Amino acid sequence: MTVGALPIWSKTFSYAIRSLCLLHIIHTYAYEFTETRGESMLPTLSATNDYVHVLKHFQNGKGIKMGDCVVALKPTDPNHRICKRITGMPGDMVLVDPSTKVNHIGDVLVDEERFSTYIKVPEGHVWVTGDNLSHSLDSRTYNALPMGLIMGKIVAANNFDKPFWDSRRNIWGFKWINNAFVDASGESN
Amino acid sequence: MFRAGSSKRFLRNTLIAISWVPVLLTINNNVVHIAQVKGTSMQPTLNPQTETLATDWVLLWKFGVKNPSNLSRDDIILFKAPTNPRKVYCKRVKGLPFDTIDTKFPYPKPQVNLPRGHIWVEGDNYFHSIDSNTFGPISSGLVIGKAITIVWPPSRWGTDLKLSTGRDCISKRAILE
Repeated sequence: MTVGALPIWSKTFSYAIRSLCLLHIIHTYAYEFTETRGESMLPTLSATNDYVHVLKHFQNGKGIKMGDCVVALKPTDPNHRICKRITGMPGDMVLVDPSTKVNHIGDVLVDEERFSTYIKVPEGHVWVTGDNLSHSLDSRTYNALPMGLIMGKIVAANNFDKPFWDSRRNIWGFKWINNAFVDASGESN
Repeated sequence: MFRAGSSKRFLRNTLIAISWVPVLLTINNNVVHIAQVKGTSMQPTLNPQTETLATDWVLLWKFGVKNPSNLSRDDIILFKAPTNPRKVYCKRVKGLPFDTIDTKFPYPKPQVNLPRGHIWVEGDNYFHSIDSNTFGPISSGLVIGKAITIVWPPSRWGTDLKLSTGRDCISKRAILE
């Protein structure tokens, strides 16, 4: 008749479902702590074992600014997620590939067009690049990223390769991920 | 004594009800949901009424729809507008990754090959539709859900969602391995 009369496994199951769903909702709307992998964000984030703190308030690009680090779905493959820095806002003119003389095979400049092409970032899109331009698959390849794919903004990171308590008293290498963007045009004025 | 007991039970039942809210939200976010379709771009399949302001509500299947292999041509989908993430558009999938599409004005090129992970969407009422011909192929990560059936109003129950499938724009289908 009452809940207490149900067998113990069904009660456990019901509690498990409810708490997992609550966790999922928090992960979707408020905060997520998740692993990142890959060399594209060196030296900001290391290639392995870095875990990032993501705020979901910024999903869909709400309130996002130039220079922020974001987590987004990969436009060419929604099963993967990417972690990049915003280097162009809607309406900005960007040079597709500023890393001239890097993408050489022998003496041949690969895809020369990219080094002299400017693109206007469309409405509702952002331009994203990795911090490690020579090892990053980003807007230079798949064009501007729709803001609808942005899942959140990275505010801090932990590295579990670091000791729990190091000389600078950071727990597991805790560090804030800052927005280091300096508006050069604003400074010269 | 009796009153204290009943208010305690009321509080307990309320808390139990609240604890199920995340479960409901999770299902609505990831499995199945109901959505209202506005506008005339999907006429005559959706919102065919011209004299009334009544709009169709559809049942949305959300599980796994971000993966292009779970989408098929002529599915009706809802997706976040690439030009404005707060807007949701309802269109028909006309091309899957690696297909070749014959475009129409205002798309700048007469034909387009869809890149990996991108789909081509068009409205059935393609003269009054802002679709891939305006903003290009969209990433399948923007898809929110697939419309399965009409749930409201009751007079529209059982409507065939492939009543009209819009323009025939596919030039070459991708070769599936």
